[in-house]
Amino acid sequence: MTKISNDKNIEPGAPHWIEWITGAVSGIIVLVVIVWIGKDGVMDRDTSPNLHGNVVRTEERSDGFQVLFEIHNDSSATASQVKIRGELRERALVLESSETVLDFVPGHSKVGGGLIFQQNPAGKDLKVRATAFDEP
Amino acid sequence: MDIATTREDFNTRKFFAGIARGIAGALLFALPMLMTMEMWQLGVYIDRTRLLLLLLANIPLLIILADRVGFEETSTWRQAVRDASIAYALGIISCALILVAMGVIKHDQSAHEIIGMIALQAVPASIGAMLGRSQLGGQSVEEGVEEEGDDGDPVHEGETSYAGELFLMAVGALFLNLNVAPTEEMILLSYKMTPWHALVIIAASLAVMHGFVYALSFRGSHDLAEGTPSWHAFVRFTLPGYLIAGLISAYCLWTFHRTDDIGSTQTLMTIVILSFPGAIGAAAARLIL
Repeated sequence: MTKISNDKNIEPGAPHWIEWITGAVSGIIVLVVIVWIGKDGVMDRDTSPNLHGNVVRTEERSDGFQVLFEIHNDSSATASQVKIRGELRERALVLESSETVLDFVPGHSKVGGGLIFQQNPAGKDLKVRATAFDEP
Repeated sequence: MDIATTREDFNTRKFFAGIARGIAGALLFALPMLMTMEMWQLGVYIDRTRLLLLLLANIPLLIILADRVGFEETSTWRQAVRDASIAYALGIISCALILVAMGVIKHDQSAHEIIGMIALQAVPASIGAMLGRSQLGGQSVEEGVEEEGDDGDPVHEGETSYAGELFLMAVGALFLNLNVAPTEEMILLSYKMTPWHALVIIAASLAVMHGFVYALSFRGSHDLAEGTPSWHAFVRFTLPGYLIAGLISAYCLWTFHRTDDIGSTQTLMTIVILSFPGAIGAAAARLIL
């Protein structure tokens, strides 16, 4: 409760118990956030990203075969401008390749995208991996 | 509000002045977002369920705001609902006109894109229209609040007013958050920061928030009743206010797809950095509204 008078608002000295409960619960939640982030500050000290990719699924579309992939970053460091290259191989011979760039792959997160191939990847060796990145 | 309740005292000039104030408020509050590229893009690709949720959540927000911030004659819920619909409509119309005028909306775009862009931008604009009509209106907001406190039993009064303070903080936080949450800078900042930076930001947010309301003696600032230790206000108002700013930040980030598939610590860091302007908005709302 706040009384308003002459542009100055006075908080009463004996507030309702709900105000204390709200304050206490908020304090606990803020503290949990601080401890969580602090714990990561102490434990998670990676300096470079750790990227690996995997193919989620392939879909046939009017303009070819759409390969949906995910890039995982197992480190706590974020990578930006991540170049992704997908290669379709048959007996060590590269039949087709496709590339894209992901803006960000944050730490301990995954980011998805798609590559489009002309040939059907079924029965062939398909690899999607990160080939380069920047630091944000 | 300048719309009369009976036909006899309807004043056309005052009515249109009220509408014009609403449009002015919408412009004042929404122009930064109307001129943000990410907001146009979001209008196109935002998940329609999240957009719908935002649009629906805006309705009770406007109604409570109409009731709380109190246009002069808003005394019943029916009037509050009417004011809220007018503010929402003004928000939609001003956004549509400005987006067309700036060439962001063109005739060859699909209805899906156009509606998405206008709907998304109409949310901050409608809040702006509502605040504009009250804050630019020149009537005394304080009187309304005092009157409100004069009736009812003290316990109920204490509860509603405390909830009212928290609600105002939420509106302030939402307002500043909506301005910056869609920009890529927010996530970029969280990627650049280490956890230690985040902890400093939390401390700074709490300090600035508390200082804004209790220490800096701005017009409308708050004081404690005599003999109350100063940490009382910190626990009762600043901590809940910061939590509210954090929750609003989390909601904005989720709505704008900034938390999808992101690790928990990274998400928390983004919420912390967005809560910084949110906390200042929440504190400012307590002074201004």
